[in-house]
Amino acid sequence: MSQTEALWWASESFWRKTAIWVTAGSFVALIFLTFDTMSQITAGTKRVPAYSVINHRVDYVFDEKRNFQVPVIGPEEPLFGQMLTEEQAAAMVSKGKLTVQAKNCMNCHTLLGNGAYYAPDLTKAWLDPAWGSKEVREQSMVEFLMNPQERLHNVLGRRMPNLKITEEEARATVAFLKWMSSIDTNGFPYNFKPLDQEN
Amino acid sequence: MIEPVAMANFFTVFFSAASVIVFGALYALLFAYARLHRRPRMMVLTYAAYLGLFAAVLTLAFAANLFSNGFWTLIVLLMLVGYLLAPHAIWYLCVGTHADGHDTGEGVTAETSPVKVYQQR
Amino acid sequence: MAALGVLDGANLNGGQKLAVKYFTVAFILFGAQILFGLLAGLQYLNPDFLFGVLDFSVNRMVHINALVVWLLFGFIGSVYWLLEDEAGSPVVGIKLGNLIFWIFTLAVAAVVVVYLVVQIGPGEKSSIWLINEGREYIEAPRWADIGIVVCVLVFFFNVVATFTKGRYTGIGGVLVLDLVALAGLYLAGMFYTPNISVDQFWWWWVIHLWVEATWEVMVGCLMAYALIKTLGVRRKIVETWLYIEVALMFGSGILGLGHHYFWIGTPEYWFTIGGFFSALEPIPLVAMVVHAVFDSGAHKMKNNNHPVLGWTIAHAFGNFFGAGVWGFMHTLPQINLFTHGTQWTPSHGHLAFFGAYATIVIAFFYLAMQKWRGNVWMSGNMAGDWKWKWSLALLHIGMIGMVMGMLVAGYQQSFIERAIEGSTWMGYFTAQAHPWFLQGMWWRQIFGWVFAAGYVLLAWDLLTIGKRETRPIAVLHGDASPATA
Repeated sequence: MSQTEALWWASESFWRKTAIWVTAGSFVALIFLTFDTMSQITAGTKRVPAYSVINHRVDYVFDEKRNFQVPVIGPEEPLFGQMLTEEQAAAMVSKGKLTVQAKNCMNCHTLLGNGAYYAPDLTKAWLDPAWGSKEVREQSMVEFLMNPQERLHNVLGRRMPNLKITEEEARATVAFLKWMSSIDTNGFPYNFKPLDQEN
Repeated sequence: MIEPVAMANFFTVFFSAASVIVFGALYALLFAYARLHRRPRMMVLTYAAYLGLFAAVLTLAFAANLFSNGFWTLIVLLMLVGYLLAPHAIWYLCVGTHADGHDTGEGVTAETSPVKVYQQR
Repeated sequence: MAALGVLDGANLNGGQKLAVKYFTVAFILFGAQILFGLLAGLQYLNPDFLFGVLDFSVNRMVHINALVVWLLFGFIGSVYWLLEDEAGSPVVGIKLGNLIFWIFTLAVAAVVVVYLVVQIGPGEKSSIWLINEGREYIEAPRWADIGIVVCVLVFFFNVVATFTKGRYTGIGGVLVLDLVALAGLYLAGMFYTPNISVDQFWWWWVIHLWVEATWEVMVGCLMAYALIKTLGVRRKIVETWLYIEVALMFGSGILGLGHHYFWIGTPEYWFTIGGFFSALEPIPLVAMVVHAVFDSGAHKMKNNNHPVLGWTIAHAFGNFFGAGVWGFMHTLPQINLFTHGTQWTPSHGHLAFFGAYATIVIAFFYLAMQKWRGNVWMSGNMAGDWKWKWSLALLHIGMIGMVMGMLVAGYQQSFIERAIEGSTWMGYFTAQAHPWFLQGMWWRQIFGWVFAAGYVLLAWDLLTIGKRETRPIAVLHGDASPATA
């Protein structure tokens, strides 16, 4: 027993205390980091722009200093030709996000790289060259979302099912996707080749 | 902050990262085995495994461009030293925690033990 | 005690009677997980299969939700299993516990039926409340979230009240604190925000801090109990090591959350935190290896339940390869940039979930069957012991095969889709159509069937093991007096 006393660093009570302190310390550190991160990812900050960003062109351009592509907010290019106030934009993006959740998009697609892997990532869906040109993009997206099941998507024969998305929901989803493409994701996806938006 | 891995180095990165863990475990395993059975000559093998670990960490560091930045260089050094010492520390901890009325494995029960469990209650 | 080899409830204490109910549902849900995984896998090979009836999104959702719930039921069952024994007191409020079991099970059934029949709703809050929340792993609609919290609170009450009435062992103390964290964290996922960065920030609190922190500690507690029971390791040593493990796992695991915050809009300093704690990740594994070797010298693996020991060893290896090797291969941001959101993730996920968690719950199934049949012999020369060995082998061959298939697919995807094509949709489909990818998916499916065969054999074995066995449980030490305390 005297051995045990000598080996304080191997005793049960020492490790019980260590476990508690390590856990508490890590958790407190996490709380502080969470507060700081929250302040940086609230909509309307540099990393996560305000919802009214959908009134502008969003691009994805290589940044020499940070060594990866970053979103760049360009000139006014209102979505569906309509300038929105901050409140209207927020409501529209929120409707889009609700649609994304209610239609279970995340169990085929990934968003910011998280989700399922049966369908393409949606992080930069707004900027994907697959939409052809910037002029037809918005309308193509809405039509596709409302009636995807009959279109040929790819050589694999994988199709998106008809999720009974209304026109309002489709437009809101496009707003959500446009806003999402403006989030600074530290260069994810890497080496992405966005749709040409220059006139 | 980070320098993405070049495409040519993909395989190297995956392979060396896996090797880090495998050699790390091998090193720990051989170390513990050599200590347990008191075989000093096995320690040669043990440190050969550590050399493998060392090589894997450095390969990973070069392939993943970790030396291009002070912080990541520090992480590499930390891994090299930390993985070297960890099995030693854990071993001492094992000896220390089992020191009190240690069950030697010769079928001897610990008479001091309050818990004698032979079957589930 | 009833005759040996006969399934008799009289062999179980109150908590254990409830435990086997949870185990039964857990096992059925394990089957559901496999079934829907197979359906989803088939859709990779034939996209028209069940298109418009049970789409991939539905199958995949049921697949991963069944996973979460069967493991959770397995954990809850395991805790009820050891509760009376650990606390030295009958479960307090067992009637309420029983009632809650039925409510919980019915709620799970209702959620699954809605998933399968209703599937989706309009883009409104009501859909999130009633149909599905559309957030991976925590898709359960909000009403069910609240139900889960209530059920877990009752479970928590049972546990705390029982330990308080009886005695708090070290295992009991860790378990209670871990349950507080487990239940508390779930709340972090119960809100709606249009901001996807904020959404995923908190979503990872639930997912990561469950899977890579609180669940690990939960399994640590269960393992500690199982080691005392099947190997006769001394409690003081086991509990000291439980604390060491908690320190190592929470110390590396809590801020290990950082490796999920590379690409979701969160600041760049998470690279540093994620990188640092990724480098720490192998330390608990090293501790496990050294300690296991040390213990093998001390105990020579003498044990009274071979299947439990087999699944415990499987746990050690599965945890090592699934969480350790597969995790470390793509955890650094320099490479994760190319693997994040590809088949790398499920390759790692399948092996890690199976290795770290499924194995332990299965070990508890065997522990339960042994006692349910009156503490029968489950050591060498059991009648029909090929069954547990072959089911263990088939489940592992199936799992490793699936994981390898997805690894090849993911490796190719990180090359073609990510590095060459730059992650456009065209790049995505080019990679998905590549022969390596398609073959990976075929192998995944084939090994999925092997895994399913292992499950069927496991079911058969669990139902029959120890039947008509006449020898009592093996004695671990020279002294054969029954357990006291």
